[in-house]
Amino acid sequence: MTSYFIRRFLLIIPTFIGITLITFLILQVVPGGPLEMELMKLRGGGQGGEVNSSIGNSGNINIPESALKEMKEFYGFDKPILIRYFDWLSNLVRFNFGKSYTYAEPVWDIIVSRFNVSIYFGLISFILTYLICVPLGVLKAVKNGSKFDFFSSFMVFLGYSTPGWAFGALMLILFGGGSFWNVFPLSGFRSEDFDSMNFFQQIFDQLHHTILPVIAYVIGNFATLTILTKNSVIENLSQDYVKTAFAKGLSEKRVIFYHALRNSLIPIVTGIGGFLGLIMAGSMLIEKVFNIQGMGLLAFNSIINRDYPVTMGILVITSFLMLIGNIFSDMIYAWADPRIRFK
Amino acid sequence: MKKENKNKKQVSVSILKKRWRKFKTIKRGYYSFLIIIFLYLISFILPLFIGRSALIVKYNDKLYFPIFTYHAASDFSQNIPGEANYRLLKKQFKDENGGNWVLLPLYPYGPNENLLDETESNPPHSPSLQHILGTDTSCRDVFARLAYGFNVSISFALSVTFFAFLIGVIIGALQGFFGGIVDIVLHRLIEIWATLPILYVIIIVSSLLVPNFFLLCLIMTLFSWVGITFYIRGEFYREKSKDYVSAAVAMGAPNRKLIFSHILPNSLTPIISFAPFAIVGNIASLVSLDFLGFGLPPPTPSWGQLIQQGMTNIEYWWLVAFPLTVQFLTLIAIVFIGEAVREAFDPKVYSRLR
Repeated sequence: MTSYFIRRFLLIIPTFIGITLITFLILQVVPGGPLEMELMKLRGGGQGGEVNSSIGNSGNINIPESALKEMKEFYGFDKPILIRYFDWLSNLVRFNFGKSYTYAEPVWDIIVSRFNVSIYFGLISFILTYLICVPLGVLKAVKNGSKFDFFSSFMVFLGYSTPGWAFGALMLILFGGGSFWNVFPLSGFRSEDFDSMNFFQQIFDQLHHTILPVIAYVIGNFATLTILTKNSVIENLSQDYVKTAFAKGLSEKRVIFYHALRNSLIPIVTGIGGFLGLIMAGSMLIEKVFNIQGMGLLAFNSIINRDYPVTMGILVITSFLMLIGNIFSDMIYAWADPRIRFK
Repeated sequence: MKKENKNKKQVSVSILKKRWRKFKTIKRGYYSFLIIIFLYLISFILPLFIGRSALIVKYNDKLYFPIFTYHAASDFSQNIPGEANYRLLKKQFKDENGGNWVLLPLYPYGPNENLLDETESNPPHSPSLQHILGTDTSCRDVFARLAYGFNVSISFALSVTFFAFLIGVIIGALQGFFGGIVDIVLHRLIEIWATLPILYVIIIVSSLLVPNFFLLCLIMTLFSWVGITFYIRGEFYREKSKDYVSAAVAMGAPNRKLIFSHILPNSLTPIISFAPFAIVGNIASLVSLDFLGFGLPPPTPSWGQLIQQGMTNIEYWWLVAFPLTVQFLTLIAIVFIGEAVREAFDPKVYSRLR
């Protein structure tokens, strides 16, 4: 088994190269990149529609050859694409993510400064999701077909058919002080005068800004996890060992919560590994809705501004976390269920 | 004789027919299915019910059908540039009372029509009797845009799902059928694809390309075919070892025939039971992309674009609430369908002691 996981870890490298190569090629080959944007600005914005394909031929453009060359050098477009990729990769191995075009700061510093905001929301909502969904799923399974099951199913369907960010937008409209109630702040991670508050005000302010986004995050994963738990428990309740436990006269409570539950939780526990990736995946839309300056919004803005070093930096971190998370999931799986043997 | 025939038919009901019957018994899913199909069909002839062009105009003893042909305003001696405005025309004819008349659609506003000339205050307008769901920031009718957006959303989701499944099924089938080195190589490629942060990459691509409907379909398809391959691969591995396949091999059936006419029909369960949920996912993705501004180009009527407008000002609640309600109702109907399909195709009967 150790050799299996060592192999898995080694396989990260080719997969990682594949992911970054694909994205790198897309960014560099598809027209509309930073160079074209810059040229468009220089030409006076307005009629920049036809820029896309006309970089090389400066026939009717009044940008001096030397300036064009300088710009190409700045963005690294003067070298062949694969050389550029290997340059980028060798910098990455030395932990050099490059410098952001827009912020003129090292990409790594920018990402780290945003990372804790995303982790803050991600972690809280992750824990809350498990605290709500697992007991709810178990309860739904035990009371399968009851009124409680029926009405809580309504919530599950709501979760299925409403993306988390959409629910967040709806809550903002209702509680953000527009046409209805003014209960929660409109946007941001903290108030602007956060530093001048006393300790209790700070806690209140932080919570105040946390509640709506966290609800949006939880709604996003609510349905899947609840149904997964429910189905897993129901499946286990129909197994032979449960019948045996009943037959030998154990109480219903003991059978369900001691015997069946422990086996039912195996597939749920393995989901924990994926949470690193999930935090990143859901965050772009929710951070956009609530205007939270986290990784997701950084990624969004880097795409809009054609800030390629930041775009690639975030891709690297996100996909790396996802790859590690997948392996982590399998490790937990093997640990939680001794019958599982990876080869 | 006839009765016998009928009996015979009942004996040899195909598995697909059985499942269809089972599906019909699950009322929630079945009715959702009928409603969605009905609305989708209606949405192709939507200009008959919701639109700016009049159905019939009677002018100077001649009948015109503006819904099929373009008429400049001057054709009806209306004093505005460009196409005739049939709502004003109707009012005018009524005032004149000269035997001319206009038959308008039930809801006489188009999805891309700027109504600035006919409204008093600045857009957007909150819901009123005239515009039941209000107007957006470009003074277009929200209800009309939502209604036309339904067709766009469903068509988009259907085509992406179809093509993504087509690619996914072919690749999964190749993996499962040939196994060995084919499986390993494809699996490595798939792992790369599966780990790509899909939404992120799609946004990158569409921010650079500014896609139209077909290009966006293509981009989405290219990044969303992976999920189904795992299931098809598994089905093919399982089916391949069964006796009927061995029999077909022994009779000299070529690989093409083995894959398409023997194994594939027996591996359809995951395809059919995942399709509704894939459609739900694709509709939600389209709304998300439109919301971020990387979806279909304006002026395509889209739900996400309305939400984007609504989020620019917290007061414009109708621009957020109504698109989300429509999205929610559509998606929940499809989730109901999916739930029923899954139950019909993949029945799991749990027996519990207590």
